[in-house]
Amino acid sequence: MKTVIEIDKLGYSYGEGWILNDLSLQIEKGDFVAVIGPNGAGKSTLLRLLAGILKPIQGSIAIFGQDREHFTAWDKIGYVPQNPARQHRAFPISVREVVSLGRLSGGSMFQHYSREDKAAVDDIMERFSLKELAHRKIGELSGGQQQRVYLARAMVRSPELLLLDEPATGVDPDAKEELYTMLGEINRKQGVTIVMVSHDLELAAKVCKNALCLDHNICFWGGVQQALVHRHKHGYFYR
Amino acid sequence: MLEMFSAGFMQRAWLAGLIVAVICPLIGSFLVLRRQSMIGDGLGHIAFAGVAGGALLGAQPVLSAALATVLGALVIEKVRSRLDTFSEMVLAIFFYSGIGLAVIFSSINRMGGFNLSSILFGSLMTISASDLWVVAVLGLFACAFTVMFYRPLQYITFDETSARVAGLPAGKLNVWLAVLTALTVALSMRIVGLLLVSAMMVIPVACALQSAYSFAGTIIGGIVYGIITVTVGLTVSYYADLAPGGTIVLTGTVLFILSCLRQSFAKEEAAPPVACCHHHEVKEHEKG
Repeated sequence: MKTVIEIDKLGYSYGEGWILNDLSLQIEKGDFVAVIGPNGAGKSTLLRLLAGILKPIQGSIAIFGQDREHFTAWDKIGYVPQNPARQHRAFPISVREVVSLGRLSGGSMFQHYSREDKAAVDDIMERFSLKELAHRKIGELSGGQQQRVYLARAMVRSPELLLLDEPATGVDPDAKEELYTMLGEINRKQGVTIVMVSHDLELAAKVCKNALCLDHNICFWGGVQQALVHRHKHGYFYR
Repeated sequence: MLEMFSAGFMQRAWLAGLIVAVICPLIGSFLVLRRQSMIGDGLGHIAFAGVAGGALLGAQPVLSAALATVLGALVIEKVRSRLDTFSEMVLAIFFYSGIGLAVIFSSINRMGGFNLSSILFGSLMTISASDLWVVAVLGLFACAFTVMFYRPLQYITFDETSARVAGLPAGKLNVWLAVLTALTVALSMRIVGLLLVSAMMVIPVACALQSAYSFAGTIIGGIVYGIITVTVGLTVSYYADLAPGGTIVLTGTVLFILSCLRQSFAKEEAAPPVACCHHHEVKEHEKG
């Protein structure tokens, strides 16, 4: 099995104490990992470190065999930030414009959409049932629809690794289930490796393969079903 | 209306105003959508210090203002990118320091060398052909910059974090945008005044935002509102014999109020008749 993410003795601090300390693990190709844990345990910090938004203070992260700090295979990663819908409520941008942005990648300042880009956007809009919403302003959509748009933006470059920071926040229960089902299909049918920060272990257990419980370091790392049993027995998992 | 344009100074004033009406909303759209509406105003304070410092050293006021605002913009960008919290507080301190420096330079300089009123309010009616060329070149540069880097600029404006994750050179784009904003403030200042430059960066964009459904629509709408604002403002100024800077800004304010009203009427018309249905349901219930 090919290793997609390799974390070695990772440490990160915002100034007062370690939010992540001496964390080491490997995530293999095709895995779907739910990252769970109490508030302030370092879940989002880990995801931001994987996405390259933060730089490790200690240790290292390698993605697809490349050191994260010198990473250049931008097309291989898709990212959905935490609750983007809330901050963009009044922003004048259409659904199609948001999805199209996902085609931009790499270090050049000169970037325009090619025919291939437009075809890829058309295709993903169709697959994610967004065609009817193409010209609607993103802020006018429901939480579930908005997350579908952000997921489409992340998937429009056909990435091999998808990083999601609490994608179901602000989404109603039905849309949440639909979103998780969609993620499960992306993982199973397209073989995309997914790392997802989640608050809902039960719902995540329906689609995820493994669970990583954090509380500044690893509390549990293994199969998601075992994680449910483990929590039931030991009771220290956050819910 | 045509009589107004028979005079050469009015033709130059209108042309300069039109160029500013294009440049300011073009750059201002990115600033307003990044919640940096006050940056033009703040850079104006720094430009003022640049003019006063230049006058003290015997330098060209436009050049010294351009140098001060570009340096100021680069420092502001550095502060903004480094500080997550309270960055606006540090920026405010920076801006007030700019006006403080300007006052000190003015008090040291007893030789004169610049006209405070023309810096604050511009001198649209006394524009020379060379002034016009300066803003025309700036306008071309601003349009070329926006067209060339439009997509990455759109991405960093909408979601800078995701743009960085995708590998876009957000830092470089932010620096270029800051430099262009600084040059727009410094070079347009002599023509339309510091107050009008920052107003033209914000008010037309605010008008366009009321009805825009896309990013491009906001920029184009901002430019259209900018052109209307300058044309109507200058016409009022000519016939009512009022200061053009003031009439242009107030025309913009009136347009903003009208665009808000239009939008709220449109929303009311589009909203489902909730009260009516409720009333109907009650009546049905009473019947039952």
